[in-house]
Amino acid sequence: MKVNKNLLRNAGERVLLTGNEAIARGIIEAGAGITTAFPGTPSTQILDNLGPIAQQLGFHAEHSVNEAVAFEVAAGSALAGVRSVMVTKMLGVNLIADPLLVIAITGVNAGLVVVTADDPGQHSSQNAEDTRYFGMLGKIPVLEPMDGQEAKDMTKYAFELSEELQLPVFVRITSRICHSYFDVTFGEITPPKREGHFEKDPKRYVMISTLSRARQPILTEKINRAAVINETNPWNKTILIDKGEITTKTNPFKTEFGIIASGLTYPYVEEVLEKTKISAKVLKLATTYPLPKQLLNDYFKGLEKVLIIEECEPVTEMQIRAFAQREGIEVIIHGKEDQIMPRTGELNPDLVGGGIEKLFKVKFSEELTKPYLEVEEMLTKRVPALCAGCPHRATYYSIKEALRKNKKGGVILGDRGCYNQGVHEPIVGIDTCICMGASIAMASGMYKSGVKEPILAVIGDGTFLHSGIPSLLNAVQHRSKITVVIFDNSITGMTGHQPNACTGRNLMGEPTPEVDLVNIVNGLGIENINVVESFQTELLQDTLTRHLDDDGPKVIISRGECAILAGRERRITKEKVIRARVAVENCTGCKICMKKLGCPAFGWSSGENEHLVILPNCNGCGLCVQVCPQLAISIPREIQIPLKTQVVAGK
Amino acid sequence: MNIIICGVGGNGVILTTRILAEAAMKEGFNVRIVYSHGLAIRGGTVVSYLRIGSDAKGVIMPQRSGDILLAFEPLEALRQMKLLKDNAKVLLNNEPYIGVDAHLGLSDYPEIDEIISKLSKTQELVEIEASKLAIKAGSQVMTNVVMLGSLASSKELPIKRDTLLNAVLDMVPPQTIESNKRAFEYGEQAFQERAA
Repeated sequence: MKVNKNLLRNAGERVLLTGNEAIARGIIEAGAGITTAFPGTPSTQILDNLGPIAQQLGFHAEHSVNEAVAFEVAAGSALAGVRSVMVTKMLGVNLIADPLLVIAITGVNAGLVVVTADDPGQHSSQNAEDTRYFGMLGKIPVLEPMDGQEAKDMTKYAFELSEELQLPVFVRITSRICHSYFDVTFGEITPPKREGHFEKDPKRYVMISTLSRARQPILTEKINRAAVINETNPWNKTILIDKGEITTKTNPFKTEFGIIASGLTYPYVEEVLEKTKISAKVLKLATTYPLPKQLLNDYFKGLEKVLIIEECEPVTEMQIRAFAQREGIEVIIHGKEDQIMPRTGELNPDLVGGGIEKLFKVKFSEELTKPYLEVEEMLTKRVPALCAGCPHRATYYSIKEALRKNKKGGVILGDRGCYNQGVHEPIVGIDTCICMGASIAMASGMYKSGVKEPILAVIGDGTFLHSGIPSLLNAVQHRSKITVVIFDNSITGMTGHQPNACTGRNLMGEPTPEVDLVNIVNGLGIENINVVESFQTELLQDTLTRHLDDDGPKVIISRGECAILAGRERRITKEKVIRARVAVENCTGCKICMKKLGCPAFGWSSGENEHLVILPNCNGCGLCVQVCPQLAISIPREIQIPLKTQVVAGK
Repeated sequence: MNIIICGVGGNGVILTTRILAEAAMKEGFNVRIVYSHGLAIRGGTVVSYLRIGSDAKGVIMPQRSGDILLAFEPLEALRQMKLLKDNAKVLLNNEPYIGVDAHLGLSDYPEIDEIISKLSKTQELVEIEASKLAIKAGSQVMTNVVMLGSLASSKELPIKRDTLLNAVLDMVPPQTIESNKRAFEYGEQAFQERAA
């Protein structure tokens, strides 16, 4: 619960901020009363920054149980006339689509902004979808900032636009905006108003088919009006570039070549044109849906070919192609559809330069010469590993050992969280990872399909609460013979330790009931529950082996504290880590510890008689002590981890 | 000016970049930083790109446009080489981090000498024993501050030495100010000895 003082600096100050922080400041400047999200890289830190200062400034902040809930909380508040914002990575938009598309029809009574963070290049996501399609799907206006300053200012403006149209508004950003630092000049903070009042009007808010049908024309009218408002959006700019330099002279400037760039691609264009000394009429487009028609008509005058540059999908390009056809504008439109620009991956100045190189005989990017190519061959990738001392490593080790000894194979359906790092060598503990909560339901499907091997689903506590509960309920109702292992560290670890319902506090630091997973699982109708400490590997193996063949769904909760959090606590209490020690004379250099555990705290001595060396990042978890066949590793502490005594038992 | 700062998780790459950016802002420059930290805390690659002044446009810089590389780890330095101009200044902490995959034999960590010979073929390389000097100053955590001292001493930056030192001291815990100052000075001395 650390307050980021930078966010509270005065109007007029110039501050170094990430895009995420800039959006958080924009939300504060807009005076939003309700702010919600579910943690997801790259946009997690927007709410992480808002939570600790929410009570001080008088607004509400929450990491909700999932994205759909987060959106519905914000929507309820916006219907009651309070400015509200919901923040999500792009995959969360898939979950909010259901309420979003209907709230677009009811409309809102105060600004309702959805910040959607796309992840071109997939730095931290399982796909690279373009959420602007959801804007078009739901008739939701989309704004795209190019840097931190615009991210802050456009977020604030998005609330005003939403109120003018009585319609939710998207602010669409990408990972590079979220995770880059910019110098940002602050505006005034508006104190949040939270005096919600709901004015009943069933014809507007009760969206049964007959009533909803009557409101459809209103939504169409709104999105048409949004296009008119976008004509004068101050962040849409036409920039003339004369042989690489920005000019305000319209005479003698002349070019038939246009570039339309949205979001953070605009600065790339400026840089490429500067270096290649090309002349072009550039439209920096901030309102990518709906498009401002008159502005485009004026822009296209005199242009013969136009290159469209945007992250992810050709969303602007398709609209502009349709616009040109409708208006009878004769212009050749290049972009992703004719493969001048790449349709996959993330753009950068070199790729933008590459697109321009294809249309002009110019040179932008440098060839990699021989010494550089030799270097490329030497670059080995660093494979990520679970942290030293991570309880998930112990759980995976136990699952793999139990299945190995059981000799009937096993399919392990994985889920989204830190534990999907268990896919890497040497653990290779999961066979699938699809989306939040998919593990349990897909395990049921595999069982019903007739798969004969034992079927396991592994899922973290946060993901189980997010969307695992309905799947488990479904498995109970349909008697799926599956084993669900919940990796329980009582926090959302992957995204930086956001509290969830198991944690015992919320994002604003208020104490909350610690929801007990055993009670939830039991309440779903499962009797076959076991709770084991993750590092009690023999007990966990025994428990698994005993229950693998039981009928119906059964749940094993494997509990262990996140190693990073435990380390932080130790730094506060000044408790020393007791690291593992290697009896060098006993270590044969067999590397069984490394092959089974792959702990990043393992190193190897060089020279003859190679032996294990414990590195300073050892957290003293003791797992390697349990695995070494030579008994060469020890941890000299008074209380050793009991291997078999069941310390926590379920029903 | 384009500066690349790289290392592995735990090296303080992003903090170091922020210190440089704060100092550059104090000198009146616009700044842009983009960082990528895959799974940093787990010993993965961490790199950030700092663009100062007229280069502070897009967050991602074009290939072969880096002026300075501040590298906390040799293999990571090599990874950023294609982003550097020929004869860019490279300050390298020559302390390798091998990683799980190389220990497992899934990948080869190149010989240090080979890394250094590749880097110095096209770049102006200065090796700094920053990790060792940081331990001498009080803790290995201050490796990045040693490197910043060396960078200040190189006179490559458009930032005054005291502005940079003050930006360091503003960002570190108050009880470590003296040791951080020492680390910075060790870095300066080390660079001067190397350059002499």
